[in-house]
Amino acid sequence: MFSTSPSLKAQTRLNHAILYVILTAMAIVWLVPVVIIVLTSLRSQGDLISNGVFAWPEQIQWANFARAWGIGNFSIYFRNSLILIIVKVPLGIVISALAAYPLAKMDFRFRGIIFIFFLLGLAIPIHVTLTPLLVMMKQLGIAGHLAALIPPYVVFGIPFQIFVMRGFFRTVPSELMEAARLDGASEWGIFWRILMPLSTPALATLFIIDALATWNELLMALVLISSTEWRTVPVGLLQFQGQFSSRYTEMMAGVVISILPIILLYVFLQRYMVAGLTAGALKE
Amino acid sequence: MTTVTEIVPESSRSAPGKRKRRFRLAPYLFLAPALIWYLIFLVYPMYQSLMISFMDWDGLSPNIRYVGLDNYRRIFFEDQTARRALGNNILWTIGVLLIPTVIGLLLAVALDRNLRGRTIYRSIFYGPAVLPMVAAGMIWAWMYNPQFGFVNYVLQAIGLGHLARGWLSTFETALPAVFVTQIWGGVGFPMVLYLAALQAIPSEQFEAARIDGANGRQLFFQITLPWLREAHVIVFSLAVINSFKTFDLIYTMTYGGPGRITQVLGTWMYFHAFQYYHAGYGAALAWVIALITLVMAIPYIQRMSRD
Repeated sequence: MFSTSPSLKAQTRLNHAILYVILTAMAIVWLVPVVIIVLTSLRSQGDLISNGVFAWPEQIQWANFARAWGIGNFSIYFRNSLILIIVKVPLGIVISALAAYPLAKMDFRFRGIIFIFFLLGLAIPIHVTLTPLLVMMKQLGIAGHLAALIPPYVVFGIPFQIFVMRGFFRTVPSELMEAARLDGASEWGIFWRILMPLSTPALATLFIIDALATWNELLMALVLISSTEWRTVPVGLLQFQGQFSSRYTEMMAGVVISILPIILLYVFLQRYMVAGLTAGALKE
Repeated sequence: MTTVTEIVPESSRSAPGKRKRRFRLAPYLFLAPALIWYLIFLVYPMYQSLMISFMDWDGLSPNIRYVGLDNYRRIFFEDQTARRALGNNILWTIGVLLIPTVIGLLLAVALDRNLRGRTIYRSIFYGPAVLPMVAAGMIWAWMYNPQFGFVNYVLQAIGLGHLARGWLSTFETALPAVFVTQIWGGVGFPMVLYLAALQAIPSEQFEAARIDGANGRQLFFQITLPWLREAHVIVFSLAVINSFKTFDLIYTMTYGGPGRITQVLGTWMYFHAFQYYHAGYGAALAWVIALITLVMAIPYIQRMSRD
């Protein structure tokens, strides 16, 4: 019924042509900042001063990256952010999945209230915990150390992760669990041997989203970390911005270094990232 | 405690009555790690910072003085910068609702069509949303650089050189310039959310309306928008919540300056608590943010908790 009328077809084609022009123009605007920092990071300071920011580099200066990596202490920041991801993300996801199981599949008195109690965490700004957490970490003797970031990072991931895992667990048929129960499985066994293996897609998505959030977080790390030794990538980048304030080419090389892992992750795992975000926000 | 641990791993080949009792305990055992973690590292610090907000304290020394609601009184009636910060947060929120949200919606409607290359467009518009805000801020600070920045370079190239300026160091342009970075990074989330919502609209809805002779605009306002109500609530609530939490971009790009013109509650709180050593005042500012975000989150949490 839609393909028969030639005028309608021509109209659609024209509409699409206009759309393409607008979308392409916007896409160029969206890409320009990234192109500019890459071009800046590839040229020498002299080249920048004489040719400006948009010309093709006279000579590709890979040395900018080597210098930024070395002087900017990026190996330390990368190590710290990676350690955080490796420790924090699985820990947070397991804790959240454990809590999501009864919220999804068991019937008990305070189920609704506890769920809402966790969801409120989505709206709590981390600002409101900063000073007490700093005091607490000082008392525990880990203020300034990477370990101080793990408890708050885990806690601020819990609300979203419980929400997503609960939603996913609810889609697992109860008959599967009932069958396992008849075979003598405990609740603990059902959780680990049935629910968790079936939830691999949700777990993978949460892992990626949480790793990204951990890699990008600034404010908590700014407050709880004081020495270069334990800085994470965003705090390190800020430090670097101060240190290299007029050495633009090396500063932009540092920015490129810090976003390269994310861009690679995005290119290969984009589908999971986007799926997870919408799954978390919209309900089927 | 021992009975508790024995009860969970127990096999369920037991009498139905016994199983029922186990069911009452097991949920709390599974919930315990998350609940304990949540109480110790989120609820307790929140309570403490509420207490601190009633004090005059530098955050370090043992000299603490109870001042009641005085810190809050100063925020609203004395501190010019706090009021400017609150004003900036409100402007920022309105800006986010008007610009990136609407662009995101329009992009979603456009890219929901069967266009060739639409996945590439989606990746480009969503891309900046995954970058650390510190990096996004540094990228745009470089775009705005007074000497070498791309923005001034383009203005000069098209004969508008007289408009060139230090965008981030001029009073009138500093906040809008930072906000452009927010637009750049902020269209992706509403876009993907609206795309997901659009794909859930049954196509029969459109076909039936077309048969009734509805035109494109009528389709958009009478079918598309109402079907997106759920998505609107979420996009709206998250936009408001995140706008009041804003910190990274301001801190990276202007540090609250020039002067204090671009301070928002999030940065002003940080400066007081951790640079000026006014922990009590900083905690009060933090609680102002928290109260606003918690109230604005009510419709969002209602949706999320609905079965």
